[in-house]
Amino acid sequence: MSSTVTSTDVTNHAIAAVAPKMDPLHHFLVTKQVDVSFLGLLDISISNSVLWMWIAIALVMIFFRLAFKNPTTVPGRMQSLGELGYLFIHGIVTEIIGDKGRPFFPYIFTLFYFILFCNLAGLIPGSFTVTSQLIVTATFSMSIVAFSFVYGFYLHGSHYLKFFVPSGVPVLLMPLMVPIEIISFLARPVSLAVRLFANMTAGHTMLAVMFFYVITLPWWGAWLPFGFTVVFTGVEIFIGFIQAYIFTILTCVYINDSIHMH
Amino acid sequence: MIATAVAATAEHTASSGMPQFEPSVFGHQIFWSIASFFILLYLLKTHVLPAIEKVLDARGNKIRSDLENAEQSRRLAEKAAIDTQKQLNAARRMAEQTIEEARLESARYREMARESLSQELAKKKSVALAEIETAKQKAMTELHHVAVDIAMLATEKLIAKNMTKTETNKMVQEAIAAIQEHKGQVH
Repeated sequence: MSSTVTSTDVTNHAIAAVAPKMDPLHHFLVTKQVDVSFLGLLDISISNSVLWMWIAIALVMIFFRLAFKNPTTVPGRMQSLGELGYLFIHGIVTEIIGDKGRPFFPYIFTLFYFILFCNLAGLIPGSFTVTSQLIVTATFSMSIVAFSFVYGFYLHGSHYLKFFVPSGVPVLLMPLMVPIEIISFLARPVSLAVRLFANMTAGHTMLAVMFFYVITLPWWGAWLPFGFTVVFTGVEIFIGFIQAYIFTILTCVYINDSIHMH
Repeated sequence: MIATAVAATAEHTASSGMPQFEPSVFGHQIFWSIASFFILLYLLKTHVLPAIEKVLDARGNKIRSDLENAEQSRRLAEKAAIDTQKQLNAARRMAEQTIEEARLESARYREMARESLSQELAKKKSVALAEIETAKQKAMTELHHVAVDIAMLATEKLIAKNMTKTETNKMVQEAIAAIQEHKGQVH
């Protein structure tokens, strides 16, 4: 097969080479800024993902430090917002776990605000969405489910295995139900991790695609994707909050299961 | 040509694949996710949560204290109301007692006044009766004197004229009539 390059091919190739390329997933690319490893075994490099984790931590601290800069009995706007944030998580923990959830409150409070601010910081143009990394959400979800499993054994001993045996089910169905329960339990970290990761990835991908159209389309065609990005950014803020809320709620539910064995 | 196509396909796959599934970036993200979580946990536990809890506890204590004060004030108000009611009842009883005493006192005074008036009237009546009796005695005495005078006069005339029996009776009758007339004037 002979290859004859015509002038049209060259022109098309040149146009294709200089044309903007749509790469909405580029936003999720983790790039190591400082490559560090501990004794050659543990990779503790600093990447854009890690930097934005720290930025999210800083934002959480700035928010609460500002809210409680000069705390008064009659709160101002920022203090009310900070108190609302505290009472919101306190309400979730108390409502789902009850009094026995008190020791877990700081952890759940931290988890919620870490995820929330990672979600919201990802909406800043040029930033990085930490929670769009499956490994990050999986680290949290697996830690939570593993902790609930170990804590269940710690509290109930071998009786905790009854958690996988649904009550009121005929004995004949047990060979079917117990594996289902076990699979259901094992699916918990997966669903928890994928839900957050997929929501963040999908939302930001959608925004990236729309922004691509904003900058590539002529002005008379760009207003539609631009308007969409404006609206969808609002939706993403809402989704960021909702996903942090769902992650927190399910964490409480799993811990409650290990305590009360429903 | 084939090699170019394969390379293009590989490049396309690489560019459209999800960067999140690149295993080389897993290790440090796992480490820093956990480390960042505990860093934030430490910062929140040491700097934020105590401040929030302090404010909320202070507000809770203030509300509790206000409620206790309000409850205490309510109890005091209730006690004051009960005391006032007792005082009102006592005052009412005292007023009733005073009215009863006044009523009895007035009845006693009225009785005393009536007795006094009765005695006064009886005294006045006896005085009046005595005065009437004295006046009667005086009138009878005067009448007696008049009768004696008339008798003396008649006797004088009888003696002086030596009158007949008929004339004498006539004169006596006249004298008696004069006495009767005099007696009527006295009464």
